[in-house]
Amino acid sequence: MSLQLTRRTFLKAGFTTAAVGATGLPLEALPAEAKGWNWERGVCRFCGTGCGIRIASKEGRVVAVKGDPQNPVNRGLLCAKGYACAQILYGADRLKRPLLRKKNGVYDKQGDFEEVSWKEAFDVMKAQWTKAHQALGPAGVAVMGSGQYTIMEGYAAVKLVKAGWRSNNLDPNARHCMASAVTAFMQTFGIDEPSGCFDDIELTDAVVTWGANMAEMHPMLWARVMDERLRRPDYRIINLTTYANATSEGADLEIVFKPNTDLAIWNYLAREIVKRGAVDQDYVTKHCVFAAGAVDIGFGLREDTLKAYPAEKDTLARQKTVVLTRDEAIARGLDPDARHERSQSASATPQQHWLITYEEFQKGLEPYTLDFVARIAKGDPDESLEAFKAKLVQLADEYANPRRKQVSFWTMGFNQHTRGTWVNEQAYMVHLLTGKQARPGAGAFSLTGQPSACGTAREVGTFAHRLPADMTVDNPAHRKDAEAIWNLPPNTINPKVGSHIVQMMRDLEDGKIRWLWVQVTNPFQSSANANHTIEAARKLDNFIVVSDVYPTLSAKVADLILPSAMIYEKWGGYGNAERRTQLWRQVVLPPGEARSDVWQMMEFAKRFTLAEVWGEQPVAGLEAPGFTKGKLPDVLAAAAAQGLKPESTLYDVLFATKAAKACAWPDPVAFDKPNSTVVHANIRWFPEKALFEEYRRFGLGHGHDLAPFDTYFQRDVAGLRWPVVEGKETRWRFNDEYDPYAKKGSGIDFYGTAMKKLPSGDLTGPKPGEAKALPGRAKIFFRPWQEPPESPDATYDLWLCTGRVLEHWHSGSMTRRVPQLHAAVPEALLFMHAKDVEKRGLKVGELAWIESRRGKIQARVTLGGRNKVPRGLVYVPWFDEGVFINKVTLDATCPISKETDFKKCAVRITKVV
Amino acid sequence: MRHSILLLTLCAAPLLAGPPAKPVPDRDLGLSRATVFEVPSPPLFHDEASAPGETPLPKRINKEYPPVIPHAVADFLPITRSVNGCVDCHAVPGPKQKGEATPIPASHYVDLRRVPVVKGEALVGARYVCLSCHVPRTDAPPLVASTFRR
Repeated sequence: MSLQLTRRTFLKAGFTTAAVGATGLPLEALPAEAKGWNWERGVCRFCGTGCGIRIASKEGRVVAVKGDPQNPVNRGLLCAKGYACAQILYGADRLKRPLLRKKNGVYDKQGDFEEVSWKEAFDVMKAQWTKAHQALGPAGVAVMGSGQYTIMEGYAAVKLVKAGWRSNNLDPNARHCMASAVTAFMQTFGIDEPSGCFDDIELTDAVVTWGANMAEMHPMLWARVMDERLRRPDYRIINLTTYANATSEGADLEIVFKPNTDLAIWNYLAREIVKRGAVDQDYVTKHCVFAAGAVDIGFGLREDTLKAYPAEKDTLARQKTVVLTRDEAIARGLDPDARHERSQSASATPQQHWLITYEEFQKGLEPYTLDFVARIAKGDPDESLEAFKAKLVQLADEYANPRRKQVSFWTMGFNQHTRGTWVNEQAYMVHLLTGKQARPGAGAFSLTGQPSACGTAREVGTFAHRLPADMTVDNPAHRKDAEAIWNLPPNTINPKVGSHIVQMMRDLEDGKIRWLWVQVTNPFQSSANANHTIEAARKLDNFIVVSDVYPTLSAKVADLILPSAMIYEKWGGYGNAERRTQLWRQVVLPPGEARSDVWQMMEFAKRFTLAEVWGEQPVAGLEAPGFTKGKLPDVLAAAAAQGLKPESTLYDVLFATKAAKACAWPDPVAFDKPNSTVVHANIRWFPEKALFEEYRRFGLGHGHDLAPFDTYFQRDVAGLRWPVVEGKETRWRFNDEYDPYAKKGSGIDFYGTAMKKLPSGDLTGPKPGEAKALPGRAKIFFRPWQEPPESPDATYDLWLCTGRVLEHWHSGSMTRRVPQLHAAVPEALLFMHAKDVEKRGLKVGELAWIESRRGKIQARVTLGGRNKVPRGLVYVPWFDEGVFINKVTLDATCPISKETDFKKCAVRITKVV
Repeated sequence: MRHSILLLTLCAAPLLAGPPAKPVPDRDLGLSRATVFEVPSPPLFHDEASAPGETPLPKRINKEYPPVIPHAVADFLPITRSVNGCVDCHAVPGPKQKGEATPIPASHYVDLRRVPVVKGEALVGARYVCLSCHVPRTDAPPLVASTFRR
């Protein structure tokens, strides 16, 4: 084939070869057939895969996108959603002016929405903030953030809420997404985020998906998996799931298990690995310890029943006391015929854990025989027990094979789980036992759902307990570090962990939070048990602000709606699931009066003087060394000594700092691209760069190193995986061959420092004695299987599982405005088994009631296609506000991570007559 | 496609179309014309029922967007490792002949992950699951108009 032909093929396909070298030059020559299109590089708006994207603009509008062939994540491909990244900007109902509920010309919670100026919007917003703050202190106001925040937006929110308002009531929708992954990383490794990277897909021998329908939820990672599978006959795909899904279609082995029994399956695997002598003794002895934790930890439900509907009370009672089932008794090594009542006494300290011996660990595993686990875990009543057993054995054969490498991927099936932290830790348990962690092609790997769940929610730290770079607000040394970087007086930062997003909804219902700002998320659609939350939002005395690009369901319950700039209408950066940080330039201008979230926070900050927020503040329940009980100290005098005057605004102190203003705009890195934040703020400095550069300081030298802002715009850089040390990214953390932070010669060095000093004990609890330091080691946890808080019974006889579909992102606010995506999946259907449909006198396409103890909604019945559910289980996607399934779901959480379990509750289905 | 354009026009959202804007009750905002307390009965839509070749090809969104599947798909699914009903018909050499399926384009035979880039005879594995990028369709009209211009 001639060179010329090759070139023509590329052009025909819309690809050009990536030029490498000169820094920051325009990216590439234009394809011949697209004259007048200006191509720019960016990141996909949607999932945690973080596909590289190229964006074409013409006359101030985005006209097309395509996959970035230079980006190693996706090599020129995108999924059906990714290709719609141009269209998502152009729904006809883009919000273009602030909208405020008014009656007779003034704000009224019962009014209709009227267009107002930004000035009027902020005036009312501030007056309402002050009202809530005066009544309740810093804990009375809250911000719900997002795993779709850009890195800079998340960082601005952390500064405004934690440093400015001295509240820790900032929590992202990522709480619903991967909080369980975070807590498991912290407890196991002492540091957050995966050891491996997506390169593992090509380097491994088997991909095992656990509660991760990768084919629909991470289609471009699935493309890589299928690519390997099709070229390598010995490559295996094993899908563990509670119903047959699109991932099953490509899998070599599908294991359908009963909801919640994934924990039992992991323990069976660990038991097998031990019994077969497949433990990597050298790895475990050198790099690991064994641990156990509290077991009666509740289900993250409300402790009281004051607001409960009558039908909810029986499920809520399990938050206090559980009577063990026969199988639970067996799993705990107790007499199955006796009655065992267990007070959930550890529900306040669920994170507590301690060291145990290897012998004690084995004792914990002993009940999880093949017979026992197969009996409790078989998920399809129409499959024979023997067939299911044979599959479990095949799974064990794979993991226990010392000559083969595995990557275990999981997403919401693990994370949205009342034992989410535990089941994440069990994946590490098996990979650590077999020495298959932190090595190329081998590892347990948590995938994230959102584009910057890692980059923003976790790394920046927009959680109620976090500060940047894995630091926490309840750690005095961490607060001191943050106060130093932020130039704050000592004890400005509130040491009391704030309300997580589920708690915020409960606080709203209890009148403990009365002012709420929602940014880049749609929490009133995405939170479970929604009848409570929408009622609290609309009927109680509170003020809710929603910043968004389209009128979402949350906007409908809001009192003030602020129009936001969207992805390529602002400068930004996301961090994907493999620690890859990717930044982009603004390409087009936001429509109408829509403004970037960074601008909104900076502008709102101008309305606060230090005198208002940095005097003494009441914080109920605050108890910390160096603080008066229940109070934040007045730090105004100390601030004045630092040159921060009481009349200084939070904008001056937090955002327009001397260092920030040194980041000048215009900046050569922009290559004449616009910055609307700069224009709207009427400034001569570059806020997004200033925020990023300041944020970087938190991670440098602590294993979280990011490269300088400008580096990410170099032509030969398609994102970099942190830690980035001396210009080099890190593919496998903790591995001394690849990670400069791992001690040379150690082989593997689990150098994370959190929770690394532990007492010793047995399976029942810690024993008195000296706590032991565990430098360089990871913990292998024993975690038991338990029943979930709610299971099908005579009244509510089916399991309900919820999730996503390939064509729609989250609540559909963007993708449902893309005509072809909407036409592909116009509404959420109720996926049922044919026999369950028949039993209820239903037919395909008919309307059915889906009813739980908490609420009921209607949906149309389907027998499947992409999802084939077993008898006894139904599946409903949650993207459709017209099929508001979260009115039905249960707001139980993992007690450690506080992440909601959207994957299981009990419902009944009846015909709509 | 003319049909769709007509629908797009009809569905143009009244909200914020131009000043002076009238007060808008929350039920009129967003994708469902209902308050958050109402429980709507979702409408019934039908999957595309035509056989391959029966309906004219819809106009593409642009050359970067993978063409929407214009025919019924149920009979060709699922795509498994051994059976790919899409490829069975579409793996014909281009250019398109009358009566033939639209050929899979040359781009799908170029493997950008291997270095150096490989142009082979076989469909690139990463593009094997057609439905990751090419979506099927139903008769559902758009919920909101789109102002996107090609």
